[in-house]
Amino acid sequence: MPDVFISQKKKEEIKVATSTLKGHTHNPLASYCPNPEDARFVGQDKEEKIVLLLRRHPITNVGWILIAILMIFAPIVLTKFPLITFLPDRFQLVAMILWYLVIIAFVYEQFLDWYFNVFIITDERVIDVDFINLIYREVTDANIDRIQDVTVQMGGVIRALFNYGNVIIQTAAEIPLIEFESVPKPDEVAKVLRELRVEEELEKIEGRVR
Amino acid sequence: MDIIPVLGISVWLVVKAFFLFAILLYIVFALVVIKQVRLMTDTLEIGLEEIIRLVAYIHLAFAILVFVFALITL
Repeated sequence: MPDVFISQKKKEEIKVATSTLKGHTHNPLASYCPNPEDARFVGQDKEEKIVLLLRRHPITNVGWILIAILMIFAPIVLTKFPLITFLPDRFQLVAMILWYLVIIAFVYEQFLDWYFNVFIITDERVIDVDFINLIYREVTDANIDRIQDVTVQMGGVIRALFNYGNVIIQTAAEIPLIEFESVPKPDEVAKVLRELRVEEELEKIEGRVR
Repeated sequence: MDIIPVLGISVWLVVKAFFLFAILLYIVFALVVIKQVRLMTDTLEIGLEEIIRLVAYIHLAFAILVFVFALITL
């Protein structure tokens, strides 16, 4: 049951707590963007403000970057093995160009996957934007006041070293679970969510609910 | 020696058709990528949309160029 009366002192304390997320970034490639000024998403309300925009930690890209490097150098290694040498030179040339086209497509797709699969925290809700395959989009959202529990998962040497992990949000909404995967600074993300929930409570009490 | 006995056509002609078909498939993929990028940039505006869209179109143009190149040289 929500508090009917909150003292002025308590309100001030809550306001101080909710103003800890300072600064903003202009780097569109950042994986932890507090208060991004230019960011917009589909379905955003006019007054809705993005508090935090997150994507997977850059270190999670190392796997596909290594694969791409291996693919780039594969033809040089494969010249030692007569795989396509039975083809005339002109066919070998086109095969080589096709191979590098495939590498470009692979790198581009992986980049798009990382860049556009984002997690957004606004002052009203949390949103998980997923692009499952080439032309399928899934946008999951839940209001801040529907959040019931926030769990931070951080295990393993690499995650501890680079300070990233999963933030699992349990909600009372239709989608019971929203998972922010491999996001940087998961503890801070959880803290921001906690503060936003407190602020939402305060808004409810003060009757400022949008 | 390079002629397929039953069909009476050059084996390299068949290989060329195979190559061209593969590149055509790639062009279709490049078109789907453009559609994908449009969907993504319509969903989110984060800052690099123009560059990403441009890369998608260059990618398609390059794929078409490769097709033309293969058509001429093979």
